[in-house]
Amino acid sequence: MSFFTHRGFRGFALSCIASALLVAGCSKKAEQPAATPSQPAVSYYKVDPGTAATLTGTVYYKGKAPARKLIDITEDPACVEAHKGKAYDESLMVGKGGALENAFIYIKTGLEGKNFETPTETVVIDQQGCWFHPHIFGVQTNQPVKIVNSDPVTHNIHPVAAVNREWNHSQGPGDAPLNRKFPNPEVMIPVKCNIHSWMRSYIGVLDHPYFAVSKADGTFSLPNLPPGTYTVAIWQEKLGTQEQQITIAPQQHATVDFTYKGK
Amino acid sequence: MVWRTELMKNRHLFRCALSVLLSAAVLFSSGCKAAPSEKPIGAPVALHPPLGLPPVPIPPNNPPTKETIALGRRLFYDPRLSKDNTLACSSCHLPTTDFSDTVSLSRGVGTAIGIRNAPTLINTAYLPLQFWDGRAPSLEKQAVIPMENPIEMNQPHELALSKLKQDPTYRRMFREAFGTEDISLGRTENALASFERTILSGNSAFDRFQYGGDKNALTPQQLRGLVVFMTPNKGNCAACHTITPQYALFTDGKFHNLGEGADDEGTFKDLGRFSQTRIEADKGSFKTPTLRNIARTAPYMHDGSLQTLRQVVDFYAGQGNSNPYLDKDMKTIHLTGQDREDLVEFLKSLTGELPPNVGPPGKE
Repeated sequence: MSFFTHRGFRGFALSCIASALLVAGCSKKAEQPAATPSQPAVSYYKVDPGTAATLTGTVYYKGKAPARKLIDITEDPACVEAHKGKAYDESLMVGKGGALENAFIYIKTGLEGKNFETPTETVVIDQQGCWFHPHIFGVQTNQPVKIVNSDPVTHNIHPVAAVNREWNHSQGPGDAPLNRKFPNPEVMIPVKCNIHSWMRSYIGVLDHPYFAVSKADGTFSLPNLPPGTYTVAIWQEKLGTQEQQITIAPQQHATVDFTYKGK
Repeated sequence: MVWRTELMKNRHLFRCALSVLLSAAVLFSSGCKAAPSEKPIGAPVALHPPLGLPPVPIPPNNPPTKETIALGRRLFYDPRLSKDNTLACSSCHLPTTDFSDTVSLSRGVGTAIGIRNAPTLINTAYLPLQFWDGRAPSLEKQAVIPMENPIEMNQPHELALSKLKQDPTYRRMFREAFGTEDISLGRTENALASFERTILSGNSAFDRFQYGGDKNALTPQQLRGLVVFMTPNKGNCAACHTITPQYALFTDGKFHNLGEGADDEGTFKDLGRFSQTRIEADKGSFKTPTLRNIARTAPYMHDGSLQTLRQVVDFYAGQGNSNPYLDKDMKTIHLTGQDREDLVEFLKSLTGELPPNVGPPGKE
């Protein structure tokens, strides 16, 4: 889909350059820079440090914590060797006191109209031991994502995107990293390997920086948040989604906890 | 009045006759000078393909003869066909590695590096189009293109021919092959093509199983691999690497996009077949290579980017690289770990014999 967008944009840019050239050729004073359409003068939203708030919380799982499941990766003996240790399922990780790890928390509504700058730092997803590292992570739209294969086997990473372009790409042992971007917000994009069926990762793509993954103790933190009224959402791959409304005052240290009931 | 008309008529006739005569003379003289006959004069030699191969297609104007094959063989191994006398055809199509190269991209003269992997010449006689992008319609037309290519042998044909003309052995061999000592590009093409038509390989374990009635020629694992190879919703390999009831070329001779060479944007630096056809759907398509002797012709793919058969099988198991022109058959591939191991073993059963007289010629 974005192929067409991309091509359409290129066509548009070219026609703009062409028309700019024409204009320049006809009237000598109009020296419009041809690159204007690809470098729009954008003003990014800046959080006021004087009023910035912080939202923190903990994610809990109530009920009997399920025993961790072993995943059979013996189909590819090279994977068994590369994995170094047992391969445990990461889809439901409950720690001490019911702390739920690997849930994705993000601001779902309340930031509309604010245009946040794209971070330049690269997020790395590594294929190591026939496993995606990390299992759950978030990026901002158009933030650089580097895909690395550290394994002695070939992988074929396949983000099964619905809003963004779905693609898959083969990466052999020692192959150069892939450098990709996800231009549209999408929570979550399941990522699989076309060769190793057990490999799974999920990417949350947002057009703002307010997202987090719960740690082993279930906690998360969304710092530097402008005051306002928000829908805070959580996604967990086995337990689904929840939402809470919260109004946050300037400089407030607000707290939102989430609890999933076990079966 | 009548007399005048007659005169004019005669003059007109005279002029016509003169111009016809003149042009005939021009045609005759230029025809004699520039185009010595390219037709071999010797008795045609029958090529005997080994088990598993069909009859070799032979163009009517270039039947292989003992003399043209010998001449083509000498040319094939002759580095004088390159600018600095360092590279022969055999430098990238090495007889020791089944007429392919051991590096991903072949070296040209000087510091030049090619853009594609040197394909094996084994059984290339059967292919309707030559080169990865099919830009040559025959072996004859293919044979002399790398000689001039700046990233290959990088020498104008005239220069190559002038070098050959200084060698009395070539003058004798061209006379024996074509009737006169003329050393022309067309004759060179024909001789090289005739030699290449003799580079045939068959009678592999697979052939003995499939066409020779030897039910024990394949191991049980290779047999499982053959089933994976043939099954459309497993390997689906035979969709392009064809096997028929009578013979197996392991190629359809056509062009397919596997996504190999697709960059991070899903576009292609090397547009492959598209560079010849300008058809959008041909972007990133390359000719199906034969799989015969595949265990001996690493590295693989048009860009030589895959080093082992296991990597090739895994590339397919992952359904290649997505791009707008991906062949639809790539989507039907489903391979388990066991399937992939079996396929690799099956591919090893495709190694056949090479004919005895295709190595470097002895001293004449």
